[in-house]
Amino acid sequence: MPVTSPAGSSTASVGPSFAADRPLPEGVRDLLFADAAAVRGMAAALRALWGTWSYRELILPTFEYADTLATDVGAQIDAELYRFFDRQGRTLALRPDMTLPTARVVGTRLYDQPMPLRLCYVGSVFRHERPRAGRQHEFIQAGIELIGAPGHAADAEAIALAVASLRALGLPEFRITIGHVGFFHGLSAALALPDRLAGWLRLAVDRRSEAELADLLGQAGTVAATARRALLQLPRLTGPDAVLKEAEELCLNGAMASAVADLQSLSGLLEAYGVAGAVNYDLAEVRDLDYYTGITFEGFAPGLGVSLISGGRYDELIGHFGPEQPAVGWALTLDQVLVARELQGVRQPEPVPDVLLSVTGHPEGLSWASQARARGLRVEVDLAGLKPEDLWRSAQTRGILRAVWPDGADRLLVREPEGERQAASDAWEEFATWLR
Amino acid sequence: MAPLTIALPKGRLAEAGLACLARAGYALPANGDIGRRLVLDSPDGRLRLVMAKPSDVPVFVEYGAADLGIAGLDVVREAERDLYEPARLPFGHCRLVLAGRQGREERPLRLERSPKVATKFPHLTEAFFRRRGLAPEIIVMSGSVELAPQIGLADLIVDLVQTGTTLRENGLTELHVVLESQAVLVANRASYRLRAVEVREFIDAVVAAG
Repeated sequence: MPVTSPAGSSTASVGPSFAADRPLPEGVRDLLFADAAAVRGMAAALRALWGTWSYRELILPTFEYADTLATDVGAQIDAELYRFFDRQGRTLALRPDMTLPTARVVGTRLYDQPMPLRLCYVGSVFRHERPRAGRQHEFIQAGIELIGAPGHAADAEAIALAVASLRALGLPEFRITIGHVGFFHGLSAALALPDRLAGWLRLAVDRRSEAELADLLGQAGTVAATARRALLQLPRLTGPDAVLKEAEELCLNGAMASAVADLQSLSGLLEAYGVAGAVNYDLAEVRDLDYYTGITFEGFAPGLGVSLISGGRYDELIGHFGPEQPAVGWALTLDQVLVARELQGVRQPEPVPDVLLSVTGHPEGLSWASQARARGLRVEVDLAGLKPEDLWRSAQTRGILRAVWPDGADRLLVREPEGERQAASDAWEEFATWLR
Repeated sequence: MAPLTIALPKGRLAEAGLACLARAGYALPANGDIGRRLVLDSPDGRLRLVMAKPSDVPVFVEYGAADLGIAGLDVVREAERDLYEPARLPFGHCRLVLAGRQGREERPLRLERSPKVATKFPHLTEAFFRRRGLAPEIIVMSGSVELAPQIGLADLIVDLVQTGTTLRENGLTELHVVLESQAVLVANRASYRLRAVEVREFIDAVVAAG
């Protein structure tokens, strides 16, 4: 629809012209029809599921003060913020995730509510990242936060709900890998490496580079044989819950032992939730080590090289915005789930109407259309005044199974692949079978 | 079970990479097929080999188009991809060096204004200079980098050397080692977990084969 300015001049005549060779900035995209239907359908499935787990949804602002979103716990995210200014010159930023705004809401508005709080959200987030597999700068996150509950029971609920959510999204195959930052922190403490090697240690573990770990030990001077063995074994501590037994034998201090004990208790609860088959353990998980304070996890699906869900326990974040609260949560990227589903053969059909209706010369057809729509039928009214043969051809080209036009006051002509026939215009029981 | 997909670099590392797989006990496709076809299944059905341009190996593996890959550490670090590097392999040794014209004035690098540097490795070069507080002007080339100083295109180059003969023949001398490189095994993060047993078996076999 043309927009007219108060002065009455058309806006189309002012401003720089649209650059047809560069219609979109990098990092954003449109989702058309089937993709849009898939994303909305997935969001609806999640909301329905989350409701049954007693999670309540928050709708959060798209931008906030940059200071809110660039707390030092989210330092990694800081460099990726899309920043801009408001009219007073204050720095704003598009939200890079949903957890930070959620933490702000809890810290400033919900701190005296009965705990725990079970919160959920769906929305776009924005990160100016260097190009990475499968990532746009804007992508859609859906997730939950369980706030005000410490301990294994909350960790287990978060993970069980992650598994249930991926199932509700219609993803046939996936695996969630659980780690615990305490194990690596404990191991680092036991190794007591000089500062110059500490950063390298973390990088080498993140890369699972057994050669680099060996080099590093070579440069570290005297390291106890038990610590040496634990570090070299670390990249191998990934797999089913049997690795927790192996990890137990490598523990060198209370921090490591309590991390493994946490994971063992968690493993028992996940068994009870019936999701043990969907999870694995990985003691070498060191991503976002400064952000998480307990368990961490990531989810993967076959064929998709990158993770589609990640989360963990972050007991120090809410305290930045108000009274401290323990918290555990996760976010999944709907864009990634969409791709992962397709890789496993789940296709979202293109939305197609059930009926193409001609009302040329028969405006009473519009009243039939209203009644049909009230019953959930997808009815498209032909506006081009097509003749019956052309109407049917048009329907066929577009995969619409029926073309219909009024035939007198209370009859319809129905054209189907099997041929043409008449039907009473109130045969609603039959029409109900047209629903796809 | 579906074969593990392994991305192998064409060129310098191809032969040694294939030999390494053979020593690790994997049956290789017939010689005639290698080099002719880009996707090859091993006769025992355990591996699918994808022959890729070396710099594409990290990309294939990050995206999960290949579960594992063999590439030079230089290429892997330059690519800055999100990969695991479970093993170093005992071949493809070379070094990425900073070189300049023989007889250039001897003074520390940090006193340079903003050197013009020709390279095929812009990220590693940038990082090398930035760490020293310098703002290099990087000229990205795709071949014959050693030519650049001779024709006045650049003051310095960052390039791979094995013996140093090419440098010497072009009147260049090595100033710094930017990176000691060798072949590395890289793994996709998802495959490392979703196919943990097979991936671990492969890593161990390749490492044991040496």
